[in-house]
Amino acid sequence: MIDRILLGHNQFFGVNHLDAKVGDQKAAQFGQVQKIMDIINFCYDQDVKAMMMSTHERALLVAEEIQKSDRLRENLGIYLLVPYIAKYIKQANEKGIVNIVRDSLKETSFAGKLGMFMRGGMGLLTKDVKTMIKLLVDFEVAPFSKLNLKAIFLHDALTDLALGWDMPDVLELFADHVEKKYNAIPAFCTKNLPRLMRLFEKTHIKNPLIMASINKLGYQVNPSREEFEDALKKYELQLLAMSTLAAGYLKPKEAYEYLFSLPRVDSVVVGLSSTNHAVETFSEIRKHI
Amino acid sequence: MKLAIIGIGKMGMLHAGIMNALDDVELCAVSDSTNFLLNGVKSLKPELNTYDNYVKMLDKEQPDAVVIATPVFLHVPMAEECTKRNIPFFLEKPLSPASDQAVELIEMVESKDLVTMVGYMMRYVDTYMKAKAILESGVLGKVITVHSTIYVAQLFRKGKGWRYSKEQAGGGVVIGQATHLIDLLQWMLGPVERVTGHTINWYSEEVEDFAHVHFEFKNGAMGWMDSSWSIRHHRLMQINIEIHAEKGNLFVCDDYAKLYLDEPADGFNAGWTNWYNPDLFHGVEIDVGGPQYSRQGIAFIDAVKNGKPVASDLRNAFEVQKIVDAIYKSAENHGQPTDV
Repeated sequence: MIDRILLGHNQFFGVNHLDAKVGDQKAAQFGQVQKIMDIINFCYDQDVKAMMMSTHERALLVAEEIQKSDRLRENLGIYLLVPYIAKYIKQANEKGIVNIVRDSLKETSFAGKLGMFMRGGMGLLTKDVKTMIKLLVDFEVAPFSKLNLKAIFLHDALTDLALGWDMPDVLELFADHVEKKYNAIPAFCTKNLPRLMRLFEKTHIKNPLIMASINKLGYQVNPSREEFEDALKKYELQLLAMSTLAAGYLKPKEAYEYLFSLPRVDSVVVGLSSTNHAVETFSEIRKHI
Repeated sequence: MKLAIIGIGKMGMLHAGIMNALDDVELCAVSDSTNFLLNGVKSLKPELNTYDNYVKMLDKEQPDAVVIATPVFLHVPMAEECTKRNIPFFLEKPLSPASDQAVELIEMVESKDLVTMVGYMMRYVDTYMKAKAILESGVLGKVITVHSTIYVAQLFRKGKGWRYSKEQAGGGVVIGQATHLIDLLQWMLGPVERVTGHTINWYSEEVEDFAHVHFEFKNGAMGWMDSSWSIRHHRLMQINIEIHAEKGNLFVCDDYAKLYLDEPADGFNAGWTNWYNPDLFHGVEIDVGGPQYSRQGIAFIDAVKNGKPVASDLRNAFEVQKIVDAIYKSAENHGQPTDV
């Protein structure tokens, strides 16, 4: 069962879709991990017991804190988004893609490496791209694997790349691995929901969990709000809605009235950087679910 | 329309993903000199033809258009091979390590009237398009001065690979990243006449990590640019441009365009008028890595198919390159003013 309200993570790690400078300020505001934990605990007390989590390096500190708390470790549902793509883009500029893969694989666990050597070592491994993709997923998930992992999302940069290249196999590979190895819900973040649903028709993945931006303004909704709405009517999927307030352009009442008028909206991600309006926001959402 | 990709690193993968998704475009082949990347493609998309030699690919596949997304020093020879075969090409920015290496290519391309595009994609970002339109409307009057920065927190130790080799990349942060800003300034304010440049190599041995540049534009405006890939607290590459003009100011970055006018003009009120991305957004057919890349790819395909103009062709990239050359020359001479 997917949680209905999830706490978002962007504000904790400096992501802001309206103004990057505000993002940087928020990252500084949450410079101490305890400040993030205060928000997480506040939400938990408001019965919002689920959160999105990127694999940002600072998220590792949050994961450690969650692990120390009995109630959070057991009950807080973690919806992990892999990988933290901005890190890899910078690394690709710093050392190139080949070095990223080589260095990441070097850091995977000893047991993993042993398995790799038994299958023929690094040289052979890089020829077996499918195994390598699974290992890279493991590399990203490892620090979070002891938490209550409910779902693992493939980052939209990779989902949409697989979509553009028309590689349905990659989506299946990810989904099968997440299900088998982590017993979590395989899920996909995308900026192109209608087109992605057409690609899923070429796979064995049914009724997928999708995270995508949707709001009354149509901000960050491709190719258009109308086509997105049509896709919700046409395809079987579970939608985790993000950017529902259009980066703060919409008031919660108006935003959620629109959102929950749509079919298949199962859950919503809410970004909170203070507790001020949280109670109102949650009660506004709960009117509809 | 058959599309082939030369170089399937980060940018080649991105362009291939976008253009392959467009109507009537079929990704037919890719080439790369790195076996590891070719193996990846072979294993995930077996129907695609792969080559470790791009010349062989061009001859055998005879594509209708090519994307070149390789290290900078390979751009010109690869573009020349496409030009010889009359194949329209999209080239990643920057054009070449230095402008003199591209002179023959430019002549060849222009004599054939071949469709080309160079990846200065900032011209397809909503906020910069809005800023360009405001400047063209004339409401600000004459531009007096421009202050601009381009920063990212990327490099805090010695980097690896071609990007940090003077010979292979042509330089460091100026040619590698600040060319986006130089292109925007040239696009918005017109040609640059003279520059003064100062650079610091801090983390890198051969190339600059920090640069400060002063511009004199042909229309009489002045301005400066500060650039670095080693500025902390910039999660993403961030450009900021402040334009100070006779009748007001214009502040523009990836997130917004803010206009300030002393007096009402042309339908704008006196005081501030702000446009944030949600005000300017319109959806794209496919978004992989940001709508600006999609619009750029769509424009290239449209140019090849229908002869529509592109925002940044080879000639434009050449003009950017000449400014870069002058900056490096000035920096070598302790900031001596240098003509472009």
